[in-house]
Amino acid sequence: MQYQIRQQPNFSIARVEFDQPGEQLIVEASAMVARDSDLEMKTQMRGGLMGAAKRKLLGGESLFQNTFTATQPGQSLWVAPPAEGDMHVVEMDGATPIMLSSGNYVASGTGVNLDTSFQGLKGFFGQGGFFMLRASGTGPLFMGSFGGIHPVRVGPSGYIVDNFHIVGFTGGLSFSVRRIGGLKTFLGGGEGSVCHFTGDGTVWVATRASTALIDFLHPFRIVQSSN
Amino acid sequence: MQCELLYRPVSTIAQIRLEAGEQVLVEPGAMVGMSTNIDMKTGIPAGASGGMLGKIAGSVGRLLTGESFFQNTFTAQNGPGELLLTHELPGDMVWIDLPPSGLKVQSTAYIACTTHVQMQAELGGYRTFFSGEGLFVINATASLPNQKILLGAFGGIQKMPVDGHLLIDNGHLVAWDGNLSFNLTKASRGWISSFLSREGMVCRFTGQGNVWIQTRNPSEYGTVVGRMLPPRTN
Repeated sequence: MQYQIRQQPNFSIARVEFDQPGEQLIVEASAMVARDSDLEMKTQMRGGLMGAAKRKLLGGESLFQNTFTATQPGQSLWVAPPAEGDMHVVEMDGATPIMLSSGNYVASGTGVNLDTSFQGLKGFFGQGGFFMLRASGTGPLFMGSFGGIHPVRVGPSGYIVDNFHIVGFTGGLSFSVRRIGGLKTFLGGGEGSVCHFTGDGTVWVATRASTALIDFLHPFRIVQSSN
Repeated sequence: MQCELLYRPVSTIAQIRLEAGEQVLVEPGAMVGMSTNIDMKTGIPAGASGGMLGKIAGSVGRLLTGESFFQNTFTAQNGPGELLLTHELPGDMVWIDLPPSGLKVQSTAYIACTTHVQMQAELGGYRTFFSGEGLFVINATASLPNQKILLGAFGGIQKMPVDGHLLIDNGHLVAWDGNLSFNLTKASRGWISSFLSREGMVCRFTGQGNVWIQTRNPSEYGTVVGRMLPPRTN
């Protein structure tokens, strides 16, 4: 399977080309844009009803995912996320899992397992409303985001990212959620809760947050009369 | 200090690299990522105005511009560090030299500046300037040479030289040279044709200098999209 991301960074789309029959890609429902008509498509709840429900409720992903299977060499499939923004692919190595923020999963190879992870993510709850999807195993993982996706290599000295701008991060990083600068800073400073990452790994930072656009648009909505 | 603009032109972020001890002033909420050795302090920048009274007056001015009361000062401690800065709307950014005559900035376009830039709200005559837009004008002037300012916009940013006269729609204004004079005027000769052209009031610039415009008008966008959204109750 080969793939490339085109139209970066604002309206990215991934083109996947299958090398041989039997190769598969799992795609988030509605992310398929175009495909070879002879590709086989199967809709299923991956991980059974409970696993799928957990993914939908907690990870913000669809209940159903589509599996596309190549029937001939050279068949192609195009996938894209719903929002205006970037896509990024990580070739997972089986050793390091990846945490994805809610709604940033687009597609993955069949060797990638998806689960809603609670372990160690408590700090995200109630702060930025973050539930995360844990991807492990081997194969390509396609992520998508509102805005651009900016990878930051976290070294021994660590890195700080606004919670609303985390697309995902490699599982080897440790982190703590905090408000920067104390209460006064929080009240006056505008910066909310941030995630302080340490260790060796990568954080993918979204260059825009959909929440900011929503906050901008809200006052323009027509006010419903109360009678 | 170095500033690199990444993911242009729609998802632009500014990657600011500070040397040890260097500082940058940032609009609250703009920081999305930073090195752990960067210290953030909230407050009225020391250089804002002379004396405590001046500081308070300056802050009230900022409050009235619709900008946040505080600015955050980020300082690199014990070595170099970096900051990632964003803007609320999809669009580009510019990192420009503050002209000797200063820069007038539409309030929501401001993101960050170097520490020797003084920012004051311009009130009075400007009050009607952006009427209905909820925006005001910031007068940014430098107290030392080589000062920089980071601006963000909705859409692309186009620099337009003014040599004589130029008319610009208010909703597209980002910033302009302080030495340009300007006045509000009708888009067309008569009030009725001005209204029908939907161009309303435009800004007429006179002199020699530059105007930076945004290629989309946020308020037009909000109006068009807002009326397609479900009504709100609050």
